[in-house]
Amino acid sequence: MTKRMLIATLALIGLFVAIYLALYKLGMLGELSCSVGSCETVQMSPWAIFLGLPVAVWGVGFYVVTFAVALVGVQERFADARGISIALVALTGWGVLFSAWLTYLELFVIHAICQWCVVSAIIVLGLFVLSVLDLRENGELHRGHWTTEELAS
Amino acid sequence: MVKPKKKPPARGFYLVLGAIAFVGLVALIYVLTRPTTPAAAITVDPDAPVGEAQAYIMGDTTAPVKILEFADYQCPACANFAVLTEPDVRRRIVEQGLASYHFYDFPLPQHRNSVPASLAAACAADQGRYWDMHDRIFAGQNEWAYARNPKGALRGYAREAGLELGAWEACYDEGRHLGRIQANAALGQRMGVGSTPTFIINGRVITGDQGYDRLRALVDSAAARAGAGAGGAGTAGAAR
Repeated sequence: MTKRMLIATLALIGLFVAIYLALYKLGMLGELSCSVGSCETVQMSPWAIFLGLPVAVWGVGFYVVTFAVALVGVQERFADARGISIALVALTGWGVLFSAWLTYLELFVIHAICQWCVVSAIIVLGLFVLSVLDLRENGELHRGHWTTEELAS
Repeated sequence: MVKPKKKPPARGFYLVLGAIAFVGLVALIYVLTRPTTPAAAITVDPDAPVGEAQAYIMGDTTAPVKILEFADYQCPACANFAVLTEPDVRRRIVEQGLASYHFYDFPLPQHRNSVPASLAAACAADQGRYWDMHDRIFAGQNEWAYARNPKGALRGYAREAGLELGAWEACYDEGRHLGRIQANAALGQRMGVGSTPTFIINGRVITGDQGYDRLRALVDSAAARAGAGAGGAGTAGAAR
């Protein structure tokens, strides 16, 4: 599997976690399955809403976009496209920052941990690391003179 | 150097994605359709003898105005009122002798943790700390409202309020005041209460969260009517 395939796979897993939390937040589930921590305390806190939308719904959007970009990136046409790598790093970098802020809120403001939020944060971190590795792979600019073989390839 | 062209996506990759999507969908369908388990919900037996409605009272009951509040501990609007407005009402109306304050439980059926919260407060009343518990329960609504079992949070409040925990827990576990809670709710229904919070100020019914100024105006108006001998103590019989 290439890095982008791993990114798409992880993003799909994250998408289901986010959908699960979003369904709860939208009142479509009775209660959260939460064997570790206090998911409901976190989900009912004022910080579970961001710019008028539940954080989990933002998460669904994030994973959908990341999944779609990575899926495009695995197609042969775009396999070497550096723009895809940059987009993935930008997306997942933003995701890492947002997750770090949420984790800070859980630990030091809400004083409760939501296991699904932790799972999502780990996934986002994994996505970011893979995206950076992918960018390094696709990011090497051509240096020096072109050889005729290279030009003809 | 030119890197070799990457291979097109392997079939195995799409199979993995398909497997994850399948498992995820099945899991979501399962959690959406499974029956909810009201594991720790305290339910009130509809056939149990209904006790006598009995408010929790603050202030001088001979004051010219009686403010009755029918509230649900799990209702967000009730919590807003309790946290933001009620301190002013106590200090500037009740403590000034302008009105007495009568709190009645009105647990709504859709709030599964409301009755346990009412019970926790009622058990604190046994030790003379009703209002401490009332304030703490409302202030911490987010901590217990959707908990599978709210007892842990409620017991924490009892500890913070300095209650004798053994006695409080015995009262809570045996549901000692469920009859009173049920009776308070029944009184509300007889008086036409349909939502929370509902205030009845010398007979005048006001629904929804109220700001201090609005309540104060209603109390002043009721006091003026009472002072003018126009009556207005129509609800006095309900309060104790």
